[in-house]
Amino acid sequence: MRIKNGFVVREVCAQKVVLAEGTSNIDFGKLLTLNDTAEFLWNQAESQGDFTVESLTTALCGEYDVDSSTAAKDVKHIVDLWKQYGILE
Amino acid sequence: MKLTKYYKVADNTFSVTAEADLYAEMDKYNIFAANVGDTVFDLELVNEAFDVQYVTEIKQDEEDQQIICGHLDNGDSVFEFGLYGRREGVLVSTPDYSGAKLYLDGDDTQYAIDNAMMVIYALATAKMSTLLFHAAVVEYCGKAYMFLGKSGTGKSTHARLWLRNFPEATLLNDDNPVVRIVDGKSIQVFGSPWSGKTPCYKNEVYPLGAIVALSQAKCNKINVLSGIMAYAAVRPAISGKRWDSKIADALHTSENFLAQHAKTYHLDCLPDNAAAILCNQTVVSN
Repeated sequence: MRIKNGFVVREVCAQKVVLAEGTSNIDFGKLLTLNDTAEFLWNQAESQGDFTVESLTTALCGEYDVDSSTAAKDVKHIVDLWKQYGILE
Repeated sequence: MKLTKYYKVADNTFSVTAEADLYAEMDKYNIFAANVGDTVFDLELVNEAFDVQYVTEIKQDEEDQQIICGHLDNGDSVFEFGLYGRREGVLVSTPDYSGAKLYLDGDDTQYAIDNAMMVIYALATAKMSTLLFHAAVVEYCGKAYMFLGKSGTGKSTHARLWLRNFPEATLLNDDNPVVRIVDGKSIQVFGSPWSGKTPCYKNEVYPLGAIVALSQAKCNKINVLSGIMAYAAVRPAISGKRWDSKIADALHTSENFLAQHAKTYHLDCLPDNAAAILCNQTVVSN
C-alpha cells in the first residue's frame, strides 16, 4: 500500500499535521496531528512508497528501542487508522 | 472602445480592461476605484466564446453553481464558471495569476465577472498575506467579528442577530470579506465587492476582533479554540487552489498566523437573540 497523492505534512502551531491539498481529496475535511513516532512512520511510508506493516515495523525497530511485537502492533494500529480515513491506496 | 480601470480591495490594486459598456455590470466596484498603480493582477474582459480544449483538474458543484478548474497545454490555468449547468464564462490566467482574460459567453455576465474576479483575486493575492474568506462580518465598536460556517449554517442569520441586539453593530460584509496580515503583525478585515446575495459592498477596514465558527445546535454554547483547533476551524473558510503548492504554502503561512494570533471561538447556536448575546458577551469582553 501507499499514501495517496495530495496529502502533505505541514507545521501548524509547532505541531506536525497531515493535510489534504490534492484535487482528489478536496472534501477530506479533516486534519491529522502526528506525534514524533507517527511522523517518523509517515516519513518512512512516504520514502518507501509501496510499504507494508512489516516494512514500517522494521524501520521503527531500527530507530526506536522497542521490541518487534509491540512495534508491529503499534504500526498496525496507525496504518489501520490511515486506511480508515482513506489516506492509503 | 476599451477602457482600463483600477481598483483596490484590501490594499491590493488590480486593473480591469473591457469595452466601456461592460462596466455597467460592475457598479458595485465603483467605491473600490483606485489610482493607476502597481497591480497584483490585470484582468481583461471580452465578449467572446472560449473554445479551446483544456485538461480538467477538478469540478466542484455547490448550490447550482459549478466551477471547473483545469489548465492549457502551455501551463495557463483555466476556470469555467457555470450556473444551473449553463456556462457563463471562462477565465484563463497565467500560471502565476498576474494576468488573466475572462471570456464572457453566457447570459449572466455579472455572475461570471464576480466569480472570476474572486478566483483571480484570491490566487493573485495569496502571497500578499491576503485571505478571501467565506464569512459574514459585523463591525462592532471599531472591530470586526467574523462568523464562519458551511453554507446553510446561519452565518448571515447570526450576523443579523447582532445587528438586532446591538444597535451600534453594522454589517461589514455578508459572504466574502478579505483578511490581511499587515506588516506580519496586525490582522485587518476588509469589506469587498463580493457579498453573496446581500448587497453590502463597503470599502472599509477594521482590526479583527474575533473569529467565531458556528454550528447549528439545540442550545447555545461557546468555547475558545486555540492552536490546531483554531487552524482547523479557519482553514475551510478560505478560498484557494491548494493543489497549486505555491498557493497552498502562502495560504498556510497566513492561516498558521491566524491560528496563533486571532481570538477564535466555536459557537454552538440556535438562531435566536440569546445566541448573539452570549457570543457578544464572550468574544467582545475577553
